[in-house]
Amino acid sequence: MNKKVDIFTIEIIKNALVAIGEEMFLALKRSSKSPIIYESLDYGIGVTDAKGLLISQGNGIPGFIGTLDAGVQNIIAKFDRDNIYPDDVFILNDPYAGGGTHLSDVCMIRPVFFEEELVAWTANKAHWTEIGGKDPGSYSADATEIYQEGLQFPGIKVFEKGIANQALLNLIEVNVRLPEMTLGDLQACAASLKVGEQRFLSVIKKYSKDVTLTAIDKLLEHGDLMVLEKFKTLPKGVFEAEDIIDEDGMGNGPFKVKVKVTITDQAFVLDYTGSSDQAPGPINCTMGVLISAAREVFMGIVQPDAPATDGCFRRLQVICPEGTLLTAKRPAPVSAYFESMVCAADVVRKALAPVLPGVVTAGQFGSVCTMNLSGQIPETGEHYLLVEPLVGGWGAAVGKDGESGQFCVGNGETSNIPVEITEARYGVMVEQYAFSNNTAGAGEFRGGNGVVLDYRILSDDADISSFFGRGITNPWGINEGEEGSCNYVQVFDDQGHEKTRFSRTSRYPLKKGDLIRLVTGNGGGWGNPNKRPKAKVLADIKNGFISERDAQSIYGI
Amino acid sequence: MTVRVATDVGGTFTDLVYIDEGNVKAVKSDTTPPNFEQGVVNAAIKADIDLSDVDFFAHGSTVVINAITERKGVKTGLITTKGFRDVLEIARGNTPDIFNNTYQKPNPFVERHLRLEIEERLDYKGNVVTPINLEHLPELVAYFKSQQVEAIGVCFLHAYLNPEHEIKLVAALKNLWPEINVISSHEISAEWREYERTSTTVLSAYVLPPAQQYLDKLKKKLLANGLKTDPFIMQSNGGIATLKSARDNPITLVESGPVGGILGAAAYGEVIGDGNIMALDIGGTTAKCSLIHHGETRITTEYVLEKTAKKAGYPIKTPVIDIVEIGNGGGSIAWIDAANSLHVGPQSAGSTPGPVAYGRGGSAPTTTDANLITGRINSENFAGGEIQPDLNAVEAAFKTLADQLNVNAMDVAHGVLNIANSNMVNALKLISVNRGYDPRDFSLMAFGGGGALHATALGKELNARKVIIPPFAGVFSAWGMLMIDLRRDYIQTHRFTLTDKSKNAVISAFEHVIEKAGLDYKNDGIEQSKVKHEMYVDARYSGQEHTVKIHVPSTELEEIEFIGELSERFHQTHHQEYTFRLDGSAIEIVNIHLVSFGLLDKAKLEKLPASATESADEALIGKRTVDFDSDTLVTAAIYNREKLQPGMKFKGPAIIEESTTTTVVLPENRVEIDDFGGIHIYLRD
Repeated sequence: MNKKVDIFTIEIIKNALVAIGEEMFLALKRSSKSPIIYESLDYGIGVTDAKGLLISQGNGIPGFIGTLDAGVQNIIAKFDRDNIYPDDVFILNDPYAGGGTHLSDVCMIRPVFFEEELVAWTANKAHWTEIGGKDPGSYSADATEIYQEGLQFPGIKVFEKGIANQALLNLIEVNVRLPEMTLGDLQACAASLKVGEQRFLSVIKKYSKDVTLTAIDKLLEHGDLMVLEKFKTLPKGVFEAEDIIDEDGMGNGPFKVKVKVTITDQAFVLDYTGSSDQAPGPINCTMGVLISAAREVFMGIVQPDAPATDGCFRRLQVICPEGTLLTAKRPAPVSAYFESMVCAADVVRKALAPVLPGVVTAGQFGSVCTMNLSGQIPETGEHYLLVEPLVGGWGAAVGKDGESGQFCVGNGETSNIPVEITEARYGVMVEQYAFSNNTAGAGEFRGGNGVVLDYRILSDDADISSFFGRGITNPWGINEGEEGSCNYVQVFDDQGHEKTRFSRTSRYPLKKGDLIRLVTGNGGGWGNPNKRPKAKVLADIKNGFISERDAQSIYGI
Repeated sequence: MTVRVATDVGGTFTDLVYIDEGNVKAVKSDTTPPNFEQGVVNAAIKADIDLSDVDFFAHGSTVVINAITERKGVKTGLITTKGFRDVLEIARGNTPDIFNNTYQKPNPFVERHLRLEIEERLDYKGNVVTPINLEHLPELVAYFKSQQVEAIGVCFLHAYLNPEHEIKLVAALKNLWPEINVISSHEISAEWREYERTSTTVLSAYVLPPAQQYLDKLKKKLLANGLKTDPFIMQSNGGIATLKSARDNPITLVESGPVGGILGAAAYGEVIGDGNIMALDIGGTTAKCSLIHHGETRITTEYVLEKTAKKAGYPIKTPVIDIVEIGNGGGSIAWIDAANSLHVGPQSAGSTPGPVAYGRGGSAPTTTDANLITGRINSENFAGGEIQPDLNAVEAAFKTLADQLNVNAMDVAHGVLNIANSNMVNALKLISVNRGYDPRDFSLMAFGGGGALHATALGKELNARKVIIPPFAGVFSAWGMLMIDLRRDYIQTHRFTLTDKSKNAVISAFEHVIEKAGLDYKNDGIEQSKVKHEMYVDARYSGQEHTVKIHVPSTELEEIEFIGELSERFHQTHHQEYTFRLDGSAIEIVNIHLVSFGLLDKAKLEKLPASATESADEALIGKRTVDFDSDTLVTAAIYNREKLQPGMKFKGPAIIEESTTTTVVLPENRVEIDDFGGIHIYLRD
């Protein structure tokens, strides 16, 4: 191979490898049976090298960025190489081992062989609507140990040499509430891994194994070089912040999440030492998830203009002692793990916001704000389970107002379920989907607006579990910007009387005619509200985001 | 005297192609903004056509897409179901730029204060839950008037199932305010998903006045110059429409430019008897491609304007030919990142400053510069001979990059071509391999200014059956418009599970739209005997969301065969596109899709006189050294395309020159000229 072929061919192979993640992503989206995959895009998918280093990833959610490679590494550590065959597929959701988040997120992993040599792995991780456990949707606001949260797959083969493990499929079938959907997703996930394998092998066949492996090394090295280049522009030093998770769904709390960020020319270190011990309720996350949170916020801050590969993360170090709510130990419940994950990422932004204006925003509504609504479809009596995260307000930054009605920062391509589809599939009628009229988050740049979503319940014997974080502590403002607002759920009877209000609850019973109102918070503001240009305040009045009276008292206009 | 004319208004040139007694001719004239119709007439004059002799006039323009991308539509209001005015701005809530903490959602085309609500409600079956209450409509109208609103979109929940409330509202609105432009969602899309339908409705209203004004001006101008019939208008779905129907729903024109070329490829394929084609159009800033299978183009309603890897864009649910577009064209700039990796595009030098060779101040080398310095493009006849390229400057530009990479300038030029080609190969794989089609079963048909320069390298890489460079490749969109029929797509969300007894359910689902299609064509003045229907369904495994499109088998079949055939087609297509089939799983029909053609008397293409000999020496105009990226430089024969005649054959290495493009024939290629002047390049000897 002469030199001139070398460098440009390598570029072409790098591009081809990066394209594989995107192709696998689309294949799974289009063939899934569960709305949380095809509408919410709650999954990640990609390729690693033989050692489990991430080469290429198609992401719905940045939060899965640290889990595929960890899952592969877990399988490599657990299985003897002689017991791994072509057409094997492994299944894994153990949160305490690499690759797991909560039990609903199931990782599937497939080795890629070229001429009998294991050369790569394809893997995906997707949120399955149902994986068993004590509550529909397999997450519980009040679980106290993981055994209540569903089936655990500790990294086992679901296919061996292409033959399905029928015993395992039968076991899954009887342990989940919606077996057709769950097993359909299993097939779709397995198929998308094969797509990745075919594409990877076509690259190897075309360019030869040696050249391809060289290109992989160069791809990873490229990520590192791009990161180091960007480090030159980052502020150096030690930056600290703390934040609160109000409660764990069991009435315990508040819990502290603390970070010390150290940035040097060569390293980016996040030290979470000093964060609270693991919680009795299910808001804990584990070390693998914490690393994903760190990678997500790192990519957003460093912005290396390179595809996310293992190479991008060589300079990132995460420190946290075992047993905190960010590094929980078995059998801590973890089904609402995303709360501590979002907080772990947000607290880094809080620490860096003062030194990175325009790159990092003030506090966001800061919760995935998901809920599980369960009941019967009136006409058919068929059971339904609506699992839906909600949009809310983002924090403001220097130069821009916060985004309104957007999924929580870190939720990526997650998309809302259209009202017309919700009503056709579930026993509810949507009566309102609108921006809230809350004026919190004022500032020179104001926080984005949360939303109000009203569901009328159309049958008896329904219930709701909610996982709304930030029910007590508002998102922070910066530089004299005001705080945003909290997330909550109200329940009204058919006469419009408020029956209750909560942020987290487990299986609250609902009757036909009840209305549940889901309200998400505004993001925090940036800068003193008095500095907000008059024209912008007037536009907000005209657009009904603020009344004239409030504009006067808050903005002095 | 029967003359048929097609015109395509592009950013720089207005192309005109016409057929007169079976002979095709083409001219290019300058585009004349803002009075684009003048350029159209100028082109006719340049072609020496008397418009009063013309009995068919087709027209494609970018007026709709330009109005949107340049934000030159009118101030638009929106009326929604009570409680849902913010759906347009909330959109889907997704963040494509997944790590970006300061992501900005696309700005809605209608500000919140111009989004007003009306009390009304249907349920998910289309039944009225709350009758429409028009009591407050006068206040809404007064507010819109006070805000100088010029167009209004109306989108109610579930109107795709029952348009009754939208129809009532539009009627009441027209009654109160006769001169207002208004369009409602069911007139444009009968598919579910309220955000996408609202977005489509709003953009339709936004472009309604400028598009209608343009079409009216065009008609008037052509009439004044002697045209006796209304012009037909090119639509995004791959058919043409009467002026009247385009005027009523102009959003259907949104992608009318790019699809013309794709249709040209399908039409040329039909002429030469080749139904499987990967169509590739390489222009100055982008490359676009689309797959044609058994002569059929692929239609989608998942079109999203201004969508990028980092931006959510604006959905438009109008039927559009499924095109993959990437930021790689002749003007794409080569650059090196901080880690010394070479990239090509998506930034483009455009036409100003343009490639370095233009000598207009461009200093960053482009794909065109690489084609020039390697000898593929003739430096003596660059840009139609209008520019004397500055080869020293081009070499210096490559040298700058070469020094950073520690190689020589020619290496970089080859690197640029190889990377650009690999980007385009990835796009071509998206339309073929990724959907389960094998490129070996397809011809690669390339056109646009740059298609013929890259096609043989791409075809070789993909293992395509052969490469075809059609005649009129430089004005191919206009050429394609001469060859097509009127087309209407009716897509209606209509859900039911397929059982052994579903044949009637399938057939009756189409009754209503077939009737509507007949009526619509009747209004166009098209006889019933000239209307041809094709039935498709969008189906999925029960519980899935995304669908695959299936051609409905002959309704003559007995029920058991009919359902069996339909099911089998579904399983096969699903397996082809997604690699698996679930025979035990129920099949759910989601949409019915009727494609109705209004057949026109099309121009007949005459074969060109065949060459007396197989030898192409008559067309040979010289030899030059070309760098094909092999170990040694190669002397290639240079042919003049105008002199190539049917039946001529020759072998590579060669370069074929014509005024609008250059065809590269690699050393191992073999060339044959077909009956209509198309160049067929077989990739292996």
